[in-house]
Amino acid sequence: MKRRPELLAPAGNLEKLKMAIHYGADAVYIGGQQFGLRSRAGNFSFDEMREGVAFAHGRGAKVYVAANMVTHEGDIEGAGDFFRTLRDIGIDAVIVSDPAMIETCLSEAEGLPVHLSTQASATNYETLRFWKEEGLERVVLAREVSMDEIVKMKQEVDVEIETFVHGAMCISYSGRCTLSNHMTLRDANRGGCAQSCRWKYGFFEEGELLTKDMEARDEEPFSMSSVDLSMVRHIPDFVEAGVDSLKVEGRMKSIHYVATVCNVYRQVIDAYCEDPENFVFDPAWEEEIWKAAQRELASGFYYGIPTEKEQLFGKPRSIPQFAFAARVIAYDPVTGMATLEQRNHFSIGEEVEFFGPGFVRFSQVIETIEDVDGQPIESANQAMMTIRVKVDQPVATDYIMRKRKGVPARTLI
Amino acid sequence: MMIQLVTTAQSVDQAEALIKAGADRLYIGNSRFGLRQKGDWTIDAVREVTQLAHRHGKDVTVAVNNLMHNDHIEELSGYVQTLKAIGVDDVTAGDPGAIRLIRQAKIPYWYDAQTLVTSAKQIQFWGKREAIGAVVAREVTLEELALIQQQIGLPVEVQVYGPTCIHHSKRPLVTNYFNELGRPSEEAKQREFYMSEPADASSRYPIYEDENGTHIFSEDLTLMGQLPTLVKHGLHTWKLDGWHAGDQFVEIVKLFTFARANLLNGRFDRVEMEARLNDLQPEGFRLGTGLLLRKPEEIK
Repeated sequence: MKRRPELLAPAGNLEKLKMAIHYGADAVYIGGQQFGLRSRAGNFSFDEMREGVAFAHGRGAKVYVAANMVTHEGDIEGAGDFFRTLRDIGIDAVIVSDPAMIETCLSEAEGLPVHLSTQASATNYETLRFWKEEGLERVVLAREVSMDEIVKMKQEVDVEIETFVHGAMCISYSGRCTLSNHMTLRDANRGGCAQSCRWKYGFFEEGELLTKDMEARDEEPFSMSSVDLSMVRHIPDFVEAGVDSLKVEGRMKSIHYVATVCNVYRQVIDAYCEDPENFVFDPAWEEEIWKAAQRELASGFYYGIPTEKEQLFGKPRSIPQFAFAARVIAYDPVTGMATLEQRNHFSIGEEVEFFGPGFVRFSQVIETIEDVDGQPIESANQAMMTIRVKVDQPVATDYIMRKRKGVPARTLI
Repeated sequence: MMIQLVTTAQSVDQAEALIKAGADRLYIGNSRFGLRQKGDWTIDAVREVTQLAHRHGKDVTVAVNNLMHNDHIEELSGYVQTLKAIGVDDVTAGDPGAIRLIRQAKIPYWYDAQTLVTSAKQIQFWGKREAIGAVVAREVTLEELALIQQQIGLPVEVQVYGPTCIHHSKRPLVTNYFNELGRPSEEAKQREFYMSEPADASSRYPIYEDENGTHIFSEDLTLMGQLPTLVKHGLHTWKLDGWHAGDQFVEIVKLFTFARANLLNGRFDRVEMEARLNDLQPEGFRLGTGLLLRKPEEIK
C-alpha cells in the first residue's frame, strides 16, 4: 500500500465541481469572480463557493481557489477582504503566483493556506525552500520540470508538491509569454490570453519569407501550438517520487471531460497504490482518456524536451470524437428505464455509451425514447429536455451518456 | 538628480567604447545563468570588464535572471561567489531560489522576473528581501511606471531603447519547426529568424534559440520622446539593449547621453532627438513604443 497522491480536478462551475468529486477527485480548484486567470471560465460567486465547499467537505474533498493573476497597480485592491472571505467560507487553500498577493494573503487572511501557482514557474528545489520558508504549504511546479528533477526536489525539501498530469499546456514557461499583450492588447497574465501561440505565423530569414515559399510548396507555416499532456501511463512514477497532488488542467472544459478524466485517474491511482507489486496498466484506461481528448497527447517535459511531434502542425486533426449526450437524473431498476437530461442531440438507433463513477461503462444502441408524458419520440433534440430511455445495464444518477462524433486520433503518449 | 544609463555590452572592447559613450552601468552575462546575453562572458572577461569599469568609476551588473533548474542551482553558489570575488557590483535575478543563494553570497541584486514584475507592492516584497531595485516588465505602461516609482524608494529600471522578450519557451521551437519541414535542424541555433503575425505581414518579431530554449522579441522599443516624462516622474534608471544594434549601438548610447545632458540643461529637442535615433536605427527593425504609451485600461 502506497500513500495516495491527491487527485485534483478543475471545476468551472458548481455542476462540474460536484461531478468531479463524484467521479473521484480528492480536491477541486475553482475561480472566484476576482483575481483569477480565466476571465471566460465560469467563476464562482461566494454563495456558490459556500455550496461547493459544503458539498466537497461532506464527501471528504477539498476546494482550492485560483487567484493567480499577476497584478498591476490598483488590481490588488480588495484582495485582503477577498482572501478573508474565502477563508471564512472554508476554502482549503488559494493558488497564487504574485508575491504581492501572497504577502497579502499571508498577512491579512491568516489561516488560509497558500499554494504557489504554476504561473510562478518554480523549477528548482531552492525555490521550493524559499517558498516553504515564506510560509507556503504547497508549490505547483512549472510544467518544464522533469521527473528526475521532481525526485531530487522531494529529497531536498519537505514541502508539498503539486504537478500537472493532464490537460492543455502553455508552450512557453507559464507567465513568461506576452504575445497576447503585444499582439491583441489582452494581458495573458491577467486572464486575457488570446492563445496567440497557436496562430500561424510568417517565418523569415534574412529577408526571405519562408512561409511564402512554403505556401507555394504547400508546406507548413510556423506555429507554437502544444499538444496536450497526459501522464495516465506514468502514475507510478509520481507516486514513487512522493508527489502530493496530481493536477488536471481545464476549468473551461466540459462535464464530460472532467468526469472521464477523473474516473480514469482515480482508477489508475487506486490500482497502483493498493498493490504496486502487481500493478499492470490496463489499456482500457488509455482508451477512455482518448474519449475526452481534444488534441493529441504526450508526456511534456517529464522524460525529455518535447520535439516537433509534440507540437501541432498541419491541418487540425479531427479530434473531439465523443460528445456529452445526456446525464442520468433517475433510474428505475424495475422497468430498466433511465431518466435523462439531454445535452446533445441523439436519436433512436444511435450507439451510445454510459459510464459512471468507479469506471463502470457499457455501450448500447438506443431503442426507445420517451418524452416526459411517456410518449415515444424519435430523437432527443432539445437542449436540457427530460427524456427516458431503456438501458441495457443498471445506471445511477449522474451517470453520463456519451456518443461518438468522429474518428479518434491515437498517437503519442 | 542622477540619471543612470544601463547598457548591454557584447565584449570588453565594446564595453570600453560604451563607457566613453556615457554608459554608467554595463549589463553582461552568459546564457547559463542569464537570459539573452550576447558575447562570450567567461569569468576572465567578466573580471577584465569589471576592472575596466571600476577604473572609470562605472558599475557592472551580471545577469543571473535565468529560470533555474536543479542543475543550475547546484552550480550557482560557486558562480555568484566568484562574481563577488571579482568585484562585480550587483546582479539581476528573478528566480526565488537563485535569490536565496545570491543573498547568502552577499551580492546585491535587482529583482528581475521579466514579465512578472508589474507592481510597486511586488517590488516592495523583494525590497524587504534586500533587492536594491527592480527591472519592471515591459508590458507595464509609462503611466503605471510613474505610479510604481512614486511609491517606492528603490530605483525602477525602464527600458528606453532596444528589443524586449515577449515569449520564452524551454522548447527548441525553431529546431522543431525545421525538423517538421525536413530542413537541416543545425541551422536553427546558428541564426536569428523573424516571425510576422498573421494580421500584420509587415510585423517582424526576432526569434532565436539557445540552450535555454526559444526567445521571441518585440519591436525595438524607444522612449526617446518620453525622456522628459521619465525625469518628471523620478524614473532615472534607463536601460538600453543593443541586441541587434550591432556597431551602431555605441552611437545610440552616445545619443542618449547627449539627450540626457540636454534634458538637464533645458535644451532637449524631442523632434531632433527622435530623428537622429531613427537615422541610427538598423535597417529592418521597427522602432516603436510597444505597450509603454498605452493607457492602462486599454489592456484587458
